[in-house]
Amino acid sequence: MPESHAPQDDALTIHAVEFRGRGAEYFRIWVVNVALTVLTLGIYSAWAKVRTQRYFYGNTYLAGHSFEYHASAVRILIGRAIAVTLFAGYTLSAIMVPVTVGFWILILGAALPWLANSSIRFNARNTSWRNVRFRFTATYFEAFIAYVVWSVAALAIFFLIPYTRRVHDYFYVNHHRFGGRAFATRFSAGRIYAIYLIGFVLIVGIIAFLLGGTAAIVVVTTRLHDYTKNIHLPIDEGATTVIVALLFGSTALFVTNFVAAMVTNLAIGNATLEGGHKLISRISPWRLGWIVVSNTLLTLATLGLFFPFARVRLARYRMSRYALAANSDLDDFTAEALEQQSAIGEEIAGVFDFGFGL
Amino acid sequence: MTELEGRYFYPNAARFVPARASVVPVRILHIEDEHGQVLDEVLGRQVKITARLASLARRFDLPDGGRFETEDNDAADSLIWALRRRRRGKFTDRLERAWPVVLASLIVTLLAGYYVFAQVIPVGAEWLARATLPAVAHTMSEQTLRVLDHTALTATKLKAGEQFRATKLFMQVAAHARGGLGAYRLVFRAGRKGMGGPDAFGPNAFALPDGTIVMTDSLWALIKNDAEIEGVFGHEMSHVDHAHGLQLVYEAALLPAALAIFTGDVSQVSQMAALLPTIILQSSYSRGMESQADDDSAAVLRSMHLKPSHMADLLLRLDSKVCGKAGCPRDWVSDHPDTVARAARLRLQDLGPVAAGIDCARPWATGISLRCLGITVH
Repeated sequence: MPESHAPQDDALTIHAVEFRGRGAEYFRIWVVNVALTVLTLGIYSAWAKVRTQRYFYGNTYLAGHSFEYHASAVRILIGRAIAVTLFAGYTLSAIMVPVTVGFWILILGAALPWLANSSIRFNARNTSWRNVRFRFTATYFEAFIAYVVWSVAALAIFFLIPYTRRVHDYFYVNHHRFGGRAFATRFSAGRIYAIYLIGFVLIVGIIAFLLGGTAAIVVVTTRLHDYTKNIHLPIDEGATTVIVALLFGSTALFVTNFVAAMVTNLAIGNATLEGGHKLISRISPWRLGWIVVSNTLLTLATLGLFFPFARVRLARYRMSRYALAANSDLDDFTAEALEQQSAIGEEIAGVFDFGFGL
Repeated sequence: MTELEGRYFYPNAARFVPARASVVPVRILHIEDEHGQVLDEVLGRQVKITARLASLARRFDLPDGGRFETEDNDAADSLIWALRRRRRGKFTDRLERAWPVVLASLIVTLLAGYYVFAQVIPVGAEWLARATLPAVAHTMSEQTLRVLDHTALTATKLKAGEQFRATKLFMQVAAHARGGLGAYRLVFRAGRKGMGGPDAFGPNAFALPDGTIVMTDSLWALIKNDAEIEGVFGHEMSHVDHAHGLQLVYEAALLPAALAIFTGDVSQVSQMAALLPTIILQSSYSRGMESQADDDSAAVLRSMHLKPSHMADLLLRLDSKVCGKAGCPRDWVSDHPDTVARAARLRLQDLGPVAAGIDCARPWATGISLRCLGITVH
């Protein structure tokens, strides 16, 4: 029911976002992608990425029109080759001559703003809706302040982590443009601190509960064991390691996504697009946490076969919680001139596992 | 003549009108609105057409920034055919549509996955380990030992006489081991006591890639028979001979890369889905190496006319020292095989070489056998 998200403002029309992909359909695309990637020793992975992204963007609809992904597979392949070479060099030198790690950190620190910008810009300019592409316009200096200065500050003083998160969100949202209009988000620092506090309380609570539960089970089983010496518990002792790892891993995953949902609601839910359009984000933290944890466990249990269904399930839920409150009809967006953007930064960021974005 | 219903977007704009596309001679794409008003007319080869994928709308990007799009993929295909343009992605689309192909892909993927994780990675890592320059192995070993000396280890408290006796036993084993006398070096260390607690290192011995073998004082204190420590030395020398340490390093680097190829992009669901398989596979590689080292050690001891079973006694004693009388619990993700099984196999080795066992629980380490599927061939 998209109408239920409507703020009490008569001038705005609410357009719900909807994901129309289906698990069985994406499963086939995924399996063929993996098989071809393996058979071509990884070269097809660039085309696989484009097909996957196209499937997810192309099935995401806003106001009757889908988004589109335009990146060229050849460009991605070149970026990927460079990124993998760099990563192999980094891994091997870090393992064999650990001293070089300092050198790598310096290089990555200097390159980080460029990586952030070119990765976000690559994705923005290759995304379009109704024939108009997105843009991202941050400078190296702005990215340096956001991703190097503030990240170092947050590493040094943990109390600054929520504030840094807001800096990153502002950086990401406020430099995006669509059809000549700028996105802008603003929210109070107090609210993001509140979110991190909730996350902290939640993780302490769950871990206390888990430890208490474990202690209770141990007490009960030892009693049982004393009572009837020849009863053997059905649980293999070795399995406990794995169960404990899964429990604590799931907890961490749940809380991370719980917090991420609230932060997204804050950053996207307070964003506007020039011209009086508002973005709406109503992700339920409980629901998102549950979906990600159950997706992960099912993916592990099915040796990865559930993975495509998991991705579709996640996209379907996330997208259903976004909407656009438009001020006027959406016809008057006009594309701005676009500069070419190589995929090198995007692929390096991917291989080194840097997440830029919300 | 093929006619295609769809929408036309004005150049670089979000504004659109319902439109019809058709092909006029020769290979010209003609787009008009509902009233027959011409919107655009361009040479077919100047149009960028998206590849067919599932039921996504097909897009025709026009050179002036305009665009025609349609949901009717089949009609779009015949229009492209009329333009004499290649239908990009047609082959992949066919593959993705046919369930038999999907099934075949699944089987190919599973077989390739088994082959890569059971064969390619361990063999590749072994090849890389052998190709590694001795100088690199030496630098690595020195740095590792230096880091350990600063964190977990401290100087030995063994008397000179004890050290001499241990070194003599070490040399006797080295003379029978594959590398010979010059290939190994024994080094003594004591575990550092951390924050008033017991030392984290405990009774232990380990090999570094350049042939340096480190023994802790508390392991020496546990020895009741010379053959016990000789078994340990033989075991560590086997690690050196096969460059097991380097192999683990290479495997740690290759595994995530291989997993990334197989899963596409796991981080889309969660890091945990990638981390757990990595740990499980890595520990299974390590267990395979431990078994190999045990077997090699047994062979060396037999050639010295000693009994490998002494090492079994030591292993069980170690276990009860670390985990109490009941012994250590079995662990799925341990980097060493189950101690009881190790001890049993070492005892068997007293009689002679034992054929490489097939472990049905870890087929990637030992190979798979029909026996594992419950099939016995007479």
